[in-house]
Amino acid sequence: MLKILSNALTDIVGGYGQRRVWITLATEDIFDQHRRTTLGPLWLLVNYFAFAATFIFIFTPAPLDPLHAIYIGVGLLVWSYINDNITQAVTLFEREESFIKGTTLPLSVYVMRLTLQNLIRSAYALAGCVVILLLAGVTVSGAWLWSGLGVCLILVASPAVVTVFAFLGVFFPDSQFIIANLMRVAMFATPVFWGNAGGDPLRTVLFYWNPFTYFLAIVREPIVDGSAPLNSFGVCIAITLAMWAGAVLLLGTFRRQVALIV
Amino acid sequence: MVSIRAHDLHLDYQVREKLTLRPRDKRLPQTGGTISGTGSHRFVTALDGVSFELEAGDRLGLVGANGAGKTTLLKVLYGIYEPTAGSLEIRGRVDALFNINLGFRPEATGRRNILLRGLINGWTEAEIAARTEEIIEFSELGEFIDMPFKSYSQGMGARLAFAIATTLEPEILLMDEWIGAGDASFQEKASQRMNLLADKAGIIVLASHSEELLQKTCNKRLELEKGRVKHFGKMGPDDPA
Repeated sequence: MLKILSNALTDIVGGYGQRRVWITLATEDIFDQHRRTTLGPLWLLVNYFAFAATFIFIFTPAPLDPLHAIYIGVGLLVWSYINDNITQAVTLFEREESFIKGTTLPLSVYVMRLTLQNLIRSAYALAGCVVILLLAGVTVSGAWLWSGLGVCLILVASPAVVTVFAFLGVFFPDSQFIIANLMRVAMFATPVFWGNAGGDPLRTVLFYWNPFTYFLAIVREPIVDGSAPLNSFGVCIAITLAMWAGAVLLLGTFRRQVALIV
Repeated sequence: MVSIRAHDLHLDYQVREKLTLRPRDKRLPQTGGTISGTGSHRFVTALDGVSFELEAGDRLGLVGANGAGKTTLLKVLYGIYEPTAGSLEIRGRVDALFNINLGFRPEATGRRNILLRGLINGWTEAEIAARTEEIIEFSELGEFIDMPFKSYSQGMGARLAFAIATTLEPEILLMDEWIGAGDASFQEKASQRMNLLADKAGIIVLASHSEELLQKTCNKRLELEKGRVKHFGKMGPDDPA
């Protein structure tokens, strides 16, 4: 067990030491994807607006409730980040095959490269979310500090989640399609744009038994309700710890074997 | 003192059957070597008791048929694969050139790619900046250095890759059968630089099928066959072409 821990730590510390590599590559990735376009990465902002506007103006019954716009705007921001991390993680080591087989970079470099890419994408979407909040006339309160804490917890959980799903993709290649479909369903099974008033038993089950609910709640509830979602924080901390335990176990056990498997 | 000491190196691994819904992949593993067992209990012996020693100034030519284990041995020396048995003691900073295009971004300019490739090789930005002009000069790319990498020919890419890998003067340089990508004059220039590196008390390990290149560049020869050492010794004029 000590060897597993030591292996995992070596990789993680090595990945931190190579932060210039993943910061540079992640930034290049984002700009490369939009290099020939007129708007460049601002397309990420447009994408978010288009998606948010669809849910706010088409799927929300009139009259428009500003609080509901905030609910959807923040929910969509958090969901998109989580969704991108999970769906892209499953093919991560496959995509990085040439690097894995041609360099001695720690696997954490690829994990952090993907995590940072998605964080940059979310930063553009955040600009859109701020506009929605301003248009909805939101007032900043002390409870927003809980939201900041929620964002931090999601960021802490992200590398672990990416690591676990990246290994899943290595050992079970079909998982990329299974996960993509599951996440598509999860988008609608998660209270991204709907709430739970308690009337519909199916919605209630989806609401309470869906781990994504709690990750959305720790960022969204302080802004929408001004409350501190302590229970949701408890669930998210437990999931984060479990994910890190899984990530450390996988990294420590299989990090050297990935080059022979992918 | 720069040196490589490999004693009884083994690389064995089980062919991990991926969980999949489609028919099983029956392709042979890319490490070469020999396969034993059947079904889900197939084992690959990619390296089998490989021993050799290299001292400062040695230039080793790795030869053998496809699948003999040349690339696998290079990757073990570089640290990508971990030997499952035996001992490997390497003294000196190692750099490798396995894949010319690795880390090069097609949309970025040659100059930007120098930075990216340097970072991937573990250099600091100051080290990269200090050597950028030397790399450009050696690669003979001229004004193309500020053009996107995708506009380069294969030979231009090879020149840039080689210039980056050798400019920081690695103490141990591992190369895998790619140098033929450049034209004759570049190959000559590359060969001179490799000799210079070795003369500065470095070690070069070059896997190649080109006997002409090996005769010109190397002073030792290690022949592999199915992951085992068939012959290791000084490169002589009578070695097979």
